[in-house]
Amino acid sequence: MGLLDVQGVGIAFGGLKAVQDFRLDLPKGALQGLIGPNGAGKTTLFNLLTGVYPPDTGTVKLGDRVLNGLKPHQIAQAGLARTFQNIRLFGDLTVLDNVKIACWSRGWTTTLDALLRTPRFRAEENAITTRSMELLQIFELDKRADESARFLPYGGQRRLEMARALALDPKVLLLDEPAAGMNPQEKVALRNLIRDVRDRFGLTVLLIEHDMGLVMEICERITVLDHGVVIASGTPIEIQKNPAVIEAYLGASPVADASPGAH
Amino acid sequence: MTKLLQASMDGVAVGSLYALIALGYTMVYGILKFINFAHSDVFMLGAWFSFAICGFLGYTTADHPVYAALVALIGSMAMCGALGFTIERLAYRPLRGAPRINVLITAIGVSLLLENVGQLNSNKFLAEYGIKFPFGTRPTSVPLLLPDQPLLSFALDSAHPNTLVNVLPVDVLVIGVAFTLMALLQYLVFGTSLGRAMRAVSYDAKTASLMGIDVDRVVSITFVIGSALAAAAGFLYGQKLQSLRQSADGLWVLLGLKAFVAAVVGGVGNVRGAMAGGLMIGLVEQFGAAYLSTNLRDLYVFSLLIVVLLFKPEGLLGKAVVEKV
Amino acid sequence: MSLASYGKPASPAVVAVDALGPFAGVAVLVLLMHFVIGPAVGPYYAKILVDIAISIVLAVSLNVVNGFTGQFSIGHAAFMAVGGYTAAAITYFGTVKIWGGLPLVHADPQGWGLFVVGTVAGALVAGLFGLFVGLPSLRLRGDYLALVTLGFGEIVRVLLMQTGSIPDPKVIAEAPLYTLPLKLGGSLGFGGVPTYTNLFWAWLWAGLTLVIVYRLKASTHGRAFLSVREDEIAAEAMGIPTTSVKVRAFVLSAALAGIAGALFAHELGTTLNPKELGFQKSFEVVIMVVLGGMGSLSGAVLAAAVLTVLPEVLREFSEYRMIVYALILILVMLVRPQGLFGIHEVWELPVVRRLLGGRGPK
Ligand SMILES: Nc1ncnc2c1ncn2[C@@H]1O[C@H](COP(=O)(O)OP(=O)(O)OP(=O)(O)O)[C@@H](O)[C@H]1O
Ligand SMILES: [Mg+2]
Repeated sequence: MGLLDVQGVGIAFGGLKAVQDFRLDLPKGALQGLIGPNGAGKTTLFNLLTGVYPPDTGTVKLGDRVLNGLKPHQIAQAGLARTFQNIRLFGDLTVLDNVKIACWSRGWTTTLDALLRTPRFRAEENAITTRSMELLQIFELDKRADESARFLPYGGQRRLEMARALALDPKVLLLDEPAAGMNPQEKVALRNLIRDVRDRFGLTVLLIEHDMGLVMEICERITVLDHGVVIASGTPIEIQKNPAVIEAYLGASPVADASPGAH
Repeated sequence: MTKLLQASMDGVAVGSLYALIALGYTMVYGILKFINFAHSDVFMLGAWFSFAICGFLGYTTADHPVYAALVALIGSMAMCGALGFTIERLAYRPLRGAPRINVLITAIGVSLLLENVGQLNSNKFLAEYGIKFPFGTRPTSVPLLLPDQPLLSFALDSAHPNTLVNVLPVDVLVIGVAFTLMALLQYLVFGTSLGRAMRAVSYDAKTASLMGIDVDRVVSITFVIGSALAAAAGFLYGQKLQSLRQSADGLWVLLGLKAFVAAVVGGVGNVRGAMAGGLMIGLVEQFGAAYLSTNLRDLYVFSLLIVVLLFKPEGLLGKAVVEKV
Repeated sequence: MSLASYGKPASPAVVAVDALGPFAGVAVLVLLMHFVIGPAVGPYYAKILVDIAISIVLAVSLNVVNGFTGQFSIGHAAFMAVGGYTAAAITYFGTVKIWGGLPLVHADPQGWGLFVVGTVAGALVAGLFGLFVGLPSLRLRGDYLALVTLGFGEIVRVLLMQTGSIPDPKVIAEAPLYTLPLKLGGSLGFGGVPTYTNLFWAWLWAGLTLVIVYRLKASTHGRAFLSVREDEIAAEAMGIPTTSVKVRAFVLSAALAGIAGALFAHELGTTLNPKELGFQKSFEVVIMVVLGGMGSLSGAVLAAAVLTVLPEVLREFSEYRMIVYALILILVMLVRPQGLFGIHEVWELPVVRRLLGGRGPK
């Protein structure tokens, strides 16, 4: 059994079955792609996994722990971190503070420590700052640590979303269209970054992406969703040849649509 | 039984006043998504304007024409309609798209402004024309424009004189005018193309403007209508109580707040909800006053609010909205 | 500051100064106020300074809820009332019960201990009420929450109006303790509360409030508050229990408002009256926070000071005073909607940074 075990998860919004009977078994260290045309239910699946919407059916397990019924913050603390397709940074706070906030749940001081500025508090603050700066370095944001997050360029904001998610020290990282809105150079860099980060932190990654080049190159396996249903699952080569996938895409938007996400 | 009838009648009368005011709150909230705190002051000015009109036309004694009430009502509705239009134009429109808290604070500012201009002490400007504006710092009594004999008076039990139930012309006026106006509004919102435009803007202003609806115009009209209804409530309130507190008295805001509570209880943004909520608040208040304690009226209303919000935050007739992620 | 010190281990002296310095600063401020400024300016200005301190406590505490966590509370005066009445009950009834005699309208130092107890109790009881009001915030957002806070405020006011009149000292001396909380003066107000509040106490609490709230803001716990304001869904996704953060904010904010209430109750020349502590008072505090800039403590302090002094300045034109006040409010919202300092502290603004010669803006 894998690290992230999803069994028959589904949800309907009114009459719309956004996701149905989704199954996935992610082994530790996997880098799995999740693709599908617009409105296929990919983001909704992330919302189900992270507890934003409670699933109507099915169970989600992280290791031995059942995540159903937990609040989103409990799921995040249990080790399931995510980024958002429509960027949700803490815009008015600094880049550094964005990352530091995600360190909160790993903190060991009480509010009283903070009010009295005890040595414990200083130690924690230093540790958090050091760690956050390390993460920002990895994502090449350390030079802008002091700026408001909203002033970062688009690509920078996407990278900050990833850095912030990593500050949770997660076991599984869910990336929702991290390349959306990036230019070609940024995408190349991102490609290496995702792999690096996975190896360095021993992560398991589930990646939603419309950029087929990126997905085909870095993902070991790919699941294809259409109208809330898994229509194919396999290696990139198998997926590329799968007639059902081709049809789903031709029936919807062009395969290598480079700039979705901004809607 | 007498108590029950009396409380029901008072409840419906007071409730229909709340409903009239609530409509203004709910229509503005539906479209601009903010609590128009100045609305309670438009209501207050509606009461005072009608009083001023009576003074101007000399309807101060018992001998006044039969149509006096209608003149005062329509006059003050027109004046408040114009006022609502101006307020929206000068204070709220420049803030379109600003954070809601800013609009809210501005509304509080407008409210303070109206209250305090209203009770400036210098009557000299207009006094020579018999118009009493500003209204001064003291409560005043309002001439009754209707006969004060009961229209209908019956005893439930002829053996006991204290089971007498009186139906006064004022009550008929209050309930009659309020329901007529509500029926008209109902027709306007659901039966005309203007109403369709209003509903469209309330549902999604951006899309509505893409569909060629002039959002600014709809907003202006909404303010005019809401303010005119509040003015009607103000006039009726004056007739029912026959006295008005000075304009900066906290009572006005409190009445306005209770009307907003009515809007929320009914489901904010929902015209029928505001009517139902207004009646409900009026009945709760009057029954509480009759059967429990008069002093705790406000308590019943605000407790009802909290209970409704906790169990059905979208209000009794409202629809829940879920944020998409 | 955290970035500047990043990587450099601090010397013990620095650590100690950082931890204790602000408290020493508050001590100096308080002594200065009490022994130098107060006597120098005379009783009229001393009272204004006390009022400013109380306003600072109110504005800064409301900022915790409205500015930090981005919730919208407009019932702050109710917490003030709860704190004020609790403290007044303790000092007034306590004085009679302990020293037997009449309440000390002109308070003398023997009652200071009681005053501190009263203030702290006021804070605790107000904090408890904050918990009750904070709980709906688990379900409600924005304007609806605002309305609940307002409704709560009105309920507190109505209930206080229903309390019985204050009994004679002789009756108090014999009455069992539990009967006294029902006799708080009703709509006439709680008269004859000993007047302990002076520059010393007012600025002591104002200083402590500032230190506490500023340190909170600059810590992990405070950043959790801010994240709720910025984006609740993202905050949850980053492991922040947003509901408990909101409730905590309400409790802290209410407790501090309770302190302000206690100071207000024991001030010379004020009556503790339910009418004084209705929604108008709450709006006043909201206005301070919004004018200063939501989340900015220095802004709240400045706005509290200005808005407390303004009515005094306009006293000559008393008839036009509220009109001017209203116009200023509307104009500021039209011209500078984010308030004076926005969400920042004054020393974080680009202009000021440049003046101070620190790291320039980017
Ligand atoms: N909260 C909600 N309420 C109602 N419908 C929703 C909600 N969230 C998503 N949907 C619907 O569910 C369907 C799937 O949406 P989802 O955002 O998961 O698609 P997606 O695969 O992420 O698409 P994209 O590639 O465009 O991001 C869509 O039809 C969407 O409108
Ligand atoms: Mg999506």
